[in-house]
Amino acid sequence: MMLHKNTPYLLIAALFAAGAAMPLVLKQYHLNMLTEIIVFALYAVSYNLLLGYAGLLSFGHAMFFGMGAFTVAVSLIHIPGLSIWSALALALAMTTLVGFVAGGLLLRHKGSYFALLTLAFNSLFYAVATKWHTITGGDDGLSVTRPNLALGFTTVNLAGIESFYWFTLVIVGAAIVFCWYFTQTAMGQTVLMMRENEERMKFLGYNTNISRLILFTFTGAVAGLAGAFYTLHFQFCSQSAISVDMTTTVLLMTFVGGTGTFWGPMLGALVYIILQNYLSDITDRWPLFMGLIFVFMVLFIPGGLSQILQSARGLFTRRRGPGKPMEAKEASS
Amino acid sequence: MSDIPVFFLHGLAYAGLLFLVSAGLTLVFGMMNVLNFAHAAMYMLGAYFSYTMLQATDQFWLSLMVCPVLLFVIGALIERFLLRRVHVFGHLHELLLTFGLAYIITEVVKWVWGNFPLAVNIGGLLGDTVEIIGITYPVYRIFIFLCAVFVGTLMALILYRTRLGIILRAAVNDSEMVNALGFNVPLVFMGVFAFGAALSGFAGVIAGPLLTTYPGMAHDILIDAFVVIVVGGFGSLGGAVIASLLIGELQSFGVLLFPKLSVALVYLLMAAVLIVKPSGLFGEES
Repeated sequence: MMLHKNTPYLLIAALFAAGAAMPLVLKQYHLNMLTEIIVFALYAVSYNLLLGYAGLLSFGHAMFFGMGAFTVAVSLIHIPGLSIWSALALALAMTTLVGFVAGGLLLRHKGSYFALLTLAFNSLFYAVATKWHTITGGDDGLSVTRPNLALGFTTVNLAGIESFYWFTLVIVGAAIVFCWYFTQTAMGQTVLMMRENEERMKFLGYNTNISRLILFTFTGAVAGLAGAFYTLHFQFCSQSAISVDMTTTVLLMTFVGGTGTFWGPMLGALVYIILQNYLSDITDRWPLFMGLIFVFMVLFIPGGLSQILQSARGLFTRRRGPGKPMEAKEASS
Repeated sequence: MSDIPVFFLHGLAYAGLLFLVSAGLTLVFGMMNVLNFAHAAMYMLGAYFSYTMLQATDQFWLSLMVCPVLLFVIGALIERFLLRRVHVFGHLHELLLTFGLAYIITEVVKWVWGNFPLAVNIGGLLGDTVEIIGITYPVYRIFIFLCAVFVGTLMALILYRTRLGIILRAAVNDSEMVNALGFNVPLVFMGVFAFGAALSGFAGVIAGPLLTTYPGMAHDILIDAFVVIVVGGFGSLGGAVIASLLIGELQSFGVLLFPKLSVALVYLLMAAVLIVKPSGLFGEES
């Protein structure tokens, strides 16, 4: 089955249109949930650029998420009259800087070493967030109110659930599309080929260390944007945003959704947050169920939900086995 | 400054505990190249098993013998039925599996024992205090340090002075060749993993009375143990000894000298080692 060249763009447009219509259909409770899903979808997509595309298992992604969340909270509290755009720009700048510096240190190692070091770095950030009470609020966290959105010709009040939902859909949605675009660029393809055969890439003259640092910094900034929206969504930010649990969350989402496709992690975020909302009503033990699902998937379905869906589609289109969706394009094309 | 000897001894005790935890971690990593995220969770399981046994029997020595055996069995089962299955998918999957197991064990512990700290009291000689170099000091902390010395010596003797140690070290270098020579390498790996689990259980039993038993204890020690093996060098037993002592004392004197910065000191040490010598103090350059 050949996809037409324009199919992804049509699909993106259709998703945006469907998303924009959601406030007409959903109740406030569900609209809130959907906003959260979109924010976490971006977070999971950024994580999968590391895990699925580059093959780097990081246990420290929450340091970017939390850094973005805290930058927005702290700057909105301490700089009166700060516009939402400036707050977001500050969050992006901070996480880019942190990503560049941390990446320079962490990327000296690979595999298990890298996983371990990212975990230690995440713990350092968490420790600082907990202890530095005057800035981060420590255990109490920080409460913020969403500023109005200045669009030049008009000002939108973002206090309402619907207006903030639309704002999130447009900005976070655009960021997700940009991540997808990134995977299609020469840079994104380089990362994929590095995962497959780094020696050959080096031999061909690519500086793999620089490429990896750029990718790490990019995913950090994207996760920071997700964190910024997390603060704006809950109008609250506490040290849990930067905790290792927040990394665990994104790892579970990404892996359950599937690391083999671009859209898998978004599906994972959707499933995770819906499960979290409904299972936590039924039982206090829902993290245990998530853990069991996770281990089951690691053992038997390493491709996650997207693998199941693809093999199901393969049955209908009579294609033998699912194709590899993340294969690098032919170099000549 | 009469505090200094006390804090020095505190540091030694914590270093002993750190070594007991990180020795198993670094052994499994060095031998099997598996970074076991579930190691600290098994340590916590050891502490909780011990808590239950002490409630039932009040025999600390018995619990110190039995709990590691229980963990040995659990470790063997995990290696045989779970870890070996994902081995073909590579290290990433092994890591993810141990991570998932740690998550499940933590949740199970919260479920069974409750999400609150449980104090463990040991009576007898170990609960007493003793007079050394002019200060009154709890016997138990000295006992921890002696346990670490004992375990460290035992491990070094096994690894470098016995036939089993030769097989182990050879299996690391070339497992296929050792297999071809007629040794059951999968069994050896299962034994190593189970021994690592037993060691973590032993550390857990010992940690209970010192730090109380609580569901966050796994995470708290995991980070410190990771820092130990980063600083000491991956898979190096000697490195683990030195790094445990360094970090134990740093933690202890950090609280005395810079109370606000004490948590960050350990990470600063790690960052410094990473910049100067990325493979750790005693690690081999890869």
